[in-house]
Amino acid sequence: MTTLFTSLRVSAFLAWKSIQRGSKGTLALTIMIIALIFVNLVFLPSIISGVVETFNTQSIDFDFGNLVIEPREGSQYISGVTSLQKTVERIPGITGTSPRIAAGATFFYKGHNAASTLYGITPDDERSVTKIADYMTAGEFLSNGDTDAIILGTTLAGTEGQEAGGLPSLQGVAVGDSVEVTYPNGETRTYRVKGIYQTQSISVDTAAFVTSREMSGVLGLRDQASMILVKTAVDGREEEYKTELLSYGIQEQIRTFREKAGGFVDQAIQSFNIINTISALVSLIIAIVVVFIVIFINTVNRRRQIGILKAIGIDQQIIINSYVLQVLFITAVGALAGMALNAGVTTYLTAYPLVFPGGPVYPVVEVSAILQSVASLFAVSVVAGYIPAWQIAREDILTAIRG
Amino acid sequence: MIVAENLTRIYTMGRVEVHALRGVSLEVAKGEFVGIMGASGSGKSTLLHILGLLDRPTSGRVTIDGTDVLGLTDHRRTLFRLNRLGYVFQDYALIGELTALENVYLTSLVRGAPKEEYLKKSAGILERVGLADRMDHRQSELSGGEQQRVAIARALVNNPSILLADEPCANLDSQTSRSILDLFARLNEDLGQTILMVSHEEWHKEYFCRVATLRDGLIGDMVECRRRKPHPGGEA
Repeated sequence: MTTLFTSLRVSAFLAWKSIQRGSKGTLALTIMIIALIFVNLVFLPSIISGVVETFNTQSIDFDFGNLVIEPREGSQYISGVTSLQKTVERIPGITGTSPRIAAGATFFYKGHNAASTLYGITPDDERSVTKIADYMTAGEFLSNGDTDAIILGTTLAGTEGQEAGGLPSLQGVAVGDSVEVTYPNGETRTYRVKGIYQTQSISVDTAAFVTSREMSGVLGLRDQASMILVKTAVDGREEEYKTELLSYGIQEQIRTFREKAGGFVDQAIQSFNIINTISALVSLIIAIVVVFIVIFINTVNRRRQIGILKAIGIDQQIIINSYVLQVLFITAVGALAGMALNAGVTTYLTAYPLVFPGGPVYPVVEVSAILQSVASLFAVSVVAGYIPAWQIAREDILTAIRG
Repeated sequence: MIVAENLTRIYTMGRVEVHALRGVSLEVAKGEFVGIMGASGSGKSTLLHILGLLDRPTSGRVTIDGTDVLGLTDHRRTLFRLNRLGYVFQDYALIGELTALENVYLTSLVRGAPKEEYLKKSAGILERVGLADRMDHRQSELSGGEQQRVAIARALVNNPSILLADEPCANLDSQTSRSILDLFARLNEDLGQTILMVSHEEWHKEYFCRVATLRDGLIGDMVECRRRKPHPGGEA
């Protein structure tokens, strides 16, 4: 009696001989197509993951930190900022807090004007939360004692003679220049530009920063802030920290950086995922068609051989399995080649990242995406290989032998 | 023992019905070397296909060593062919992707024989048919006679109790044909293998114990023959 092991051994023998002595060109082409399909299955999810990663990093590093404490319902400002800061900083896992005063302002420079957001910060605190200070392209970051200095985002500073495509731009401010700023209460101040930064986050690069001391003085605020940015030791656990902060009796509103983004990225990711699903489906259909055609042609060309095998006593299932094993081999080698190809593409895009509005996007290849792609490829390939093999192998022996 | 009773086989070709067998009955005792002869289209190959479990009759009954082989499932028929029958096709029917040796040991592989055993046995039988130096050659590298000898070696490698050969010498010259018939006769004589061979060459009769001559799908004559002793030594 033929055991399962023996059957598989014979199937593997026939499969290997067919691969070894069949058309090398067809084999290479099929493997290449499977490899490209694999790359297509993995590439788009890696870009989507990259976009998410970029958004998260940019939001945390430049826009919001991990959490943002905002005024209570109905209040414009948080009061007792110093005390609140001390409370928050005592919580384990909180590594920094930065109170910010935010106000809409109009900036004037050599006949150009631009409306944007002006922030008042405590520079030392800001350094403990965001990385803006590390992204100065000219001049220096603010110091705690500065009262007549301002730093501008590169978009707001602008380039001489160039519009910024609808974004606020003063068209060519340089370090050392003077910029006039009109506050929402009508007060106007002139500041020396101490530095220009570039974070590649649009909302940050179109803004400007002065010290809280200066801005509080202009707006008449005392120990007040529009928001307090909070930096946590570990990213990705914002919800836990939010609960922790609330448990300390903080009455102000607390939002994670994702909540602050207002679902924009979630919507973008949803759209990306729809595109990705369509792309993956098309790829898998191509894989089914390619494998089906290859195995169909293979079995039709070997119809007589299949008839002979059955005539000499080889079970139909052994013959079918030999084709399934060939498909598994082609898919495995194709997936490996695809992984190598994808590694090449990923390496290239890591060196030369895609530039999105939120910043540079590096492909993030997740193991789960690879496993899912490999599993999908194997599943569709086996089905696409099995059907034509089964169709031919169940044919009448003499009909098959006569071709 | 092979017992075929009242076999009919009707093929439908478009609207035309072709009666290949019209009620053939035949008994072949164990160890007989029976020739099946007749003109083209007389039903020789059809009869051999049915006895070799490659085809099913339209009606009738076939028992081999007491087993009603027409009642077997496809899977059982496959196993029966593997374990009990050896079949030599007119056009060799080798697997082109395999070498001579691989073609021969393939069925032993299916039977789960240990590697050493099937390699030794297959090489031995190829030596016996005079192909010791052609074992690693593929079909395209072998002459017609060599291919036929590989096909015979494949049919014999598992010591089947019944060997069925469908015009095994049809494409061979007379010298090669004679060496193959000598081999069959020797196997029949030495090992007591039952052999049914389809042929249309009159001179082949000298190798057969009996000859059944088919005419229009029926056995016209069944005659005993005076057997010639197989050629001693040689490739056989």
